[in-house]
Amino acid sequence: MTMTKGLVLLAAAAMLAACDQTPADKSVDYHWGGTQDLSDLRAGIWVDPNGCDHWIIDDGVEGYLSQRLDKFGKPVCSGVAEPNTAVGDFKGAAEIFDTL
Amino acid sequence: MEAVGKGIFKTIQTALAAGALVLGGTAIRAEQAGERYIPTIWVDPDGCEHWVMDDGAEGYMTPHVRRDGTPVCRQGNLCGVMNSDQLFATDKSYIGPAGQQRLRKFFTEAGARGFVIAGHTDSRASDEYNMALSLRRANAVAGIAKSVGANVIGVRGYGERMPRATNATAAGMQQNRRVEIICVQ
Repeated sequence: MTMTKGLVLLAAAAMLAACDQTPADKSVDYHWGGTQDLSDLRAGIWVDPNGCDHWIIDDGVEGYLSQRLDKFGKPVCSGVAEPNTAVGDFKGAAEIFDTL
Repeated sequence: MEAVGKGIFKTIQTALAAGALVLGGTAIRAEQAGERYIPTIWVDPDGCEHWVMDDGAEGYMTPHVRRDGTPVCRQGNLCGVMNSDQLFATDKSYIGPAGQQRLRKFFTEAGARGFVIAGHTDSRASDEYNMALSLRRANAVAGIAKSVGANVIGVRGYGERMPRATNATAAGMQQNRRVEIICVQ
């Protein structure tokens, strides 16, 4: 094993260790390059195969998806877009380019 | 007499609890010690809350709903409440010319992407009858919405099951007889 490979492995291990140290409070996104309060997330709409809406968010590292419900708790199927498509400016984070 | 009754009840409760403990030891475990996952709240553009967590690697989100399944919303997107007494005669679902004109104006000017229309009644008559009546009335309103090109995405009849006021007074019952319109942007 070369010296470089060893260093890369060491760095990776350090990153994983850092990931382990997040506290029980899961309300903050501790991504590389800073923290972001999760209440600031910006959402778009993903339309599921049945035509119903879900809020979709990509903060740069994590992805979030949650049902859009009306006040009675029924799914909202607004027809904002075709099934299996996503609309809106939901890729909020600026500092990381997410290739996933 | 009452005290004796309570005493017996207490004994039964204790016995039941002991039985549950035995069960817990063999097959059923009610609760496990878990890793702490404390969420925060994200409010969606409709004004409704969602639980959101980030454990450092993955993110998670789910709607904040009460135990009865209704979402917790800070402001609803309810944009119209039509008093049934002004639109319909008792037990009827026909809307007269004046009501039709009012509704056409409403749906033309509301400017929403879609509408959910939900009928409600007071608690007189049977639950079954009220479920049917409220749906007929919601459908009558939906028909007028569609006639002016509005996008109706849901028509519901909730009968007397979702009162907004008490059914013990005439004023409360009048508030409960309504057709609600949700504007979806």
